[in-house]
Amino acid sequence: MKACVTCVGNALRGDDAAGLAVLSLLEGTLDDDVVVLGCEGEPVALLDAWADCETAIVVDATRSGAEPGTVRRIPAHEARLPDELTRASTHVLGVGEAVELARALGKLPPRTIVYGIEGSSFDTGAPLTPEVAAAAEVVAAAIRSELEQART
Amino acid sequence: MSRTKTIRTDYLARVEGEGGMLVRMRDDVVTEVKLRIYEPPRFFEGFLRGREFREAPDITARICGICPVAYQTSACLAMESLADVELEGQLRSLRRLLYCGEWIESHTLHVFMLHAPDFLGVPSAVELAKLDPQLVETALRLKKVGNEVMRVVGGREVHPINVRVGGWYKAPTRAQLDALVPDLEWALAASREAVRVVAALEFPELEQDYLLAALVDGDEYPIDRGSHVTTSRGSSFPVAEFLDHVVEHHVEHSNALHATLDGDSYLVGPIARYALHRQHLSPVALAAADEVGLEPVVRNPFRSIIVRAVELVYACEEALRLIAAYEQPAEPAVAVAPRAGLGHGASEAPRGILYHRYRLDDLGTILDAKIIPPTSQNQRSIEEDLHAFVSAHARLPEEELRLRCEQAIRNYDPCISCATHFLRLEVERT
Repeated sequence: MKACVTCVGNALRGDDAAGLAVLSLLEGTLDDDVVVLGCEGEPVALLDAWADCETAIVVDATRSGAEPGTVRRIPAHEARLPDELTRASTHVLGVGEAVELARALGKLPPRTIVYGIEGSSFDTGAPLTPEVAAAAEVVAAAIRSELEQART
Repeated sequence: MSRTKTIRTDYLARVEGEGGMLVRMRDDVVTEVKLRIYEPPRFFEGFLRGREFREAPDITARICGICPVAYQTSACLAMESLADVELEGQLRSLRRLLYCGEWIESHTLHVFMLHAPDFLGVPSAVELAKLDPQLVETALRLKKVGNEVMRVVGGREVHPINVRVGGWYKAPTRAQLDALVPDLEWALAASREAVRVVAALEFPELEQDYLLAALVDGDEYPIDRGSHVTTSRGSSFPVAEFLDHVVEHHVEHSNALHATLDGDSYLVGPIARYALHRQHLSPVALAAADEVGLEPVVRNPFRSIIVRAVELVYACEEALRLIAAYEQPAEPAVAVAPRAGLGHGASEAPRGILYHRYRLDDLGTILDAKIIPPTSQNQRSIEEDLHAFVSAHARLPEEELRLRCEQAIRNYDPCISCATHFLRLEVERT
């Protein structure tokens, strides 16, 4: 199995660092054949990371108006991402665009799961809010079991 | 009897940042065009006060995720000018090479992913990928080549970490740069083809008589530095006198500043550079422009997409030239001692002249900072383009007019993260 976990975020923009918080929880805890990447730049780079991947997992912060800390699990290989998750990113072309570009180009891994963690504060220099820090733990655990299931 | 109609859109996608545009018309005559910027000013000039002069490149790099190298470079140049240091030899070549990486990355993003969809009648790069997957595949690969240059020279592709006042923390090895050559050679061919592709697009009619301004860097096409500013009126002034000519104005409808040059609106960026420095383009870039019949002075702003593609060719060819002549320098940087006074620096960001000025005390503490990004310099020209375009096409169906206005704004690749942020469009007919 080739699997890739990509954690997207901006360490300097409060809860936008949600994905990076998950990254630090996962690092060193997954099997060797799982590629774990932090992405502080452009999610378009995901397209390269996904080459030949069977399972791709992406974690990013969301700002959809839900309760802070809300975790959404979206099987992106099944359908288009909801509109509210494909804009308002501080990343140039967001995760949503990267997923949809990959789909349009026939490069979306057969199993692509997007985890969204709802943030509340995206202020420059702000720390992660407690709700998002707690949600990061939940998502890290979910990803571990997700990868185990994919293996069996 | 007068008619009243208002068209609104959510904020324009495919422009960095957020903001708005209002066009008011009375009986098909345009009465007012305003660019409105919503995002609060970022106060970077304030953040810089009290910081050590060596921190300026890393702090200002954070103003923009698309053109961090431009910010880093202009900041370095300003600090170095104060100490009478000018980077030479390979240290300077690396600065130009890093900047070529940013031009490749930024121009590719704009030409293919942001602007081309307008011309091809699709709402986004995702839809473009369905229409012409090969084009988008090419764009992604080109962008990756630019990112790779930035990663190898700058340490990483977004907000490079290897840049310092006086040079670099670590100079890349010859082998590291040689490894970039095959991809750059592919990029040179691909970008040349891109010129053909964008030149074949259909361009809305609009001719503007711009006052153009670009940096002068000897007989090189200006990218990473400039001693003077030159204009299409034939005037010229040293970068150190920039603020004697360029004045920023607060306008009521925007919290970004609008600049004038000697009292007039003006244009910076690809169209200006190309018109004022066409003779300094490399052979392949010039041939690419000539092959598609690109006029020496482009007055239709929609044709800026072709100029950007020509500059993409140039950046690839220039990167290859710099790498071919590269020898790893013995030291990665020269010493830059703090000195009290005013330092000025300007470079050609992908979108145009980016000017920095810092006042330091004798310990190198920043007392005052002034940053004039290209987008604030172009804002009046964008408004004037819209005024002219809407006046000439007021009878277009509303939806088409709205889309064309958005396209006209994107002609400028307005990276509004540099000038606070962009963009929403309203057309009000009374």
